[in-house]
Amino acid sequence: MALDIEAATKLPPKVITVRVRRYNPETKKIWWQEYKVETHKGMTMLDVLLDIKENTDHTLAVRYSCRMGLCGSCGVNINGTPMLACQTQVSQVTSNARPVVTVEPLPNFPVVKDLMTEFSDFFNKHRSVKPYLIRKDTEEQENPKGHLKMNPEEFIDILQFSNCIFCGLCYSSCPVVAADPEYLGPQALMYTFRFINDVRDEGHKERFAIVDSEHGCHRCHFAATCSAVCPKAVDPAGAIQGLRSKLFKYRLGFFKKKSSEVLSAPPEKGERVPLPPEATTLPGVDLKQFEKEPVVIKLPKE
Amino acid sequence: MSDDEKFRSLEMENRQGFWKASLNPWLIRAKNNPERVAFVLHRVTGFIIIAFLLAHILETDSPVWSQYAPINGLSGWAAWTYIMGIESAWWARLGEWIVAGAVLFHALNGFRLLLTEFFGLGIGKPVEPKPPYEAPTLNAPQRTWLYIEFVVALVLWAFSAFLIFG
Amino acid sequence: MIEMENKASNIQIWQYITAILLIFLLGYHLLQRVPWLFNVSTFDQTLTSAFVYNQYKEAGWALLLLAWVALFHGLNGVRGMLFELHQGKTYNTIINVLFWLVFIVFAAIAALTIVKLPAY
Repeated sequence: MALDIEAATKLPPKVITVRVRRYNPETKKIWWQEYKVETHKGMTMLDVLLDIKENTDHTLAVRYSCRMGLCGSCGVNINGTPMLACQTQVSQVTSNARPVVTVEPLPNFPVVKDLMTEFSDFFNKHRSVKPYLIRKDTEEQENPKGHLKMNPEEFIDILQFSNCIFCGLCYSSCPVVAADPEYLGPQALMYTFRFINDVRDEGHKERFAIVDSEHGCHRCHFAATCSAVCPKAVDPAGAIQGLRSKLFKYRLGFFKKKSSEVLSAPPEKGERVPLPPEATTLPGVDLKQFEKEPVVIKLPKE
Repeated sequence: MSDDEKFRSLEMENRQGFWKASLNPWLIRAKNNPERVAFVLHRVTGFIIIAFLLAHILETDSPVWSQYAPINGLSGWAAWTYIMGIESAWWARLGEWIVAGAVLFHALNGFRLLLTEFFGLGIGKPVEPKPPYEAPTLNAPQRTWLYIEFVVALVLWAFSAFLIFG
Repeated sequence: MIEMENKASNIQIWQYITAILLIFLLGYHLLQRVPWLFNVSTFDQTLTSAFVYNQYKEAGWALLLLAWVALFHGLNGVRGMLFELHQGKTYNTIINVLFWLVFIVFAAIAALTIVKLPAY
């Protein structure tokens, strides 16, 4: 979700009510619990949850790490929208007219406890599309002698997709994942496209075979909620459509893979040549004078 | 029971399911996402059209099958006229009008999907990500096509009302 | 395995080919119901048996092609949704068999309309 800068700079209501959907795996009980939290300007939803955990209820389970939208651990469903708790200002989701906010675990993920969800399926799907560079010349890949050519335009083609932080918001908002648990999901398909777009990669045939399955990219129906909730503008929806059109081209025999050649190795560095004795560091600086009269800087006493 | 199975059995299934996902466009309250409305409408209109199509094939075949199983003693083109008489009732006209709207929306949205999904047109090109981090596809030509398609479908639907009820 | 992998794309490609055909065929079929194009004044007059009989005689094969293409496109779409609804090998086989059964039956009925059309 794009940042709402205007709402984020507003003052939140003084006291908000947080409704959390909780789950206890031992008793298998699900219930809604309400907490009152005092807010301050610039308070994020993660701050709210941690405030509850610290002062009100120590049993609330939340997962978080970096608190700045980089690690992708704190994805929760706030007011029915999957969001990163650390990037969501309280003022963005509440108002003085309605100082209530609901927090739920991410949909489409199994819940471990309270707001913590299980990501192993998500990561397994990510692994299944081979998210690494594949070269025909494996010897060259293991012991590279040069580097692979890639110009700035080609870099922009993959930069956007490489920004994925694996927060799982796209996966949780997808209507197809909601129905079909075996569907690869927006994240894995976006990563396939990222590597097919990569000029250095040569494994497009393998990857096309993986996504051209029953639970692959043709399950997508372009609801684009994945792109709408993405906190990093990775745009999985566009990537999947691009992947599909490339797959059709490949199946119909029109696909031409752009690939880069290996550039020759840079010249090896020679031995370091010492400076000649007459060389000085700066014009006008006499090193011998320094040796005679060292400069002492007097610091003021505290 | 292994540890892994035990762990799995403790988890709560949190999937929203096929019906909710295909019928409720606001299941996920995401801003700036009319594509999801179009997705739900495409499904619902598809269902309406396939139900109509199966009935329509039987209906247009009535001059043939009524020769073997006459309706009210009528067969051939007389049976056709009899069925058309039933279908001139207001509820049948209302149904026809709904099907007309479904066909119009499904066709126009399908054309957009054909361009985006099959030809890969109208989806945003990858850009350097900058704040406020908006996905390029949501501002790409396909979004304009989507709005145009909503408007054109509504206009043609109004025209079809004039045709069917007028 | 490779066949299965190819299938997903092939089904989807057929879905798009039928979609392209439908734009033209259905456009033609909808225009058949616009009264002013045929010098009649109301929608109901385009549905009289004489009028429809003439249209069958003129472009019956186009209408038959439309019926087949629309049936395939529609039933294939429903099949895709049913695959989403539930997963499993037996279930998939049942859905595939049902798809072809319904398709063949209704395609045959549509063909009969053109082949065995009684004289007006």
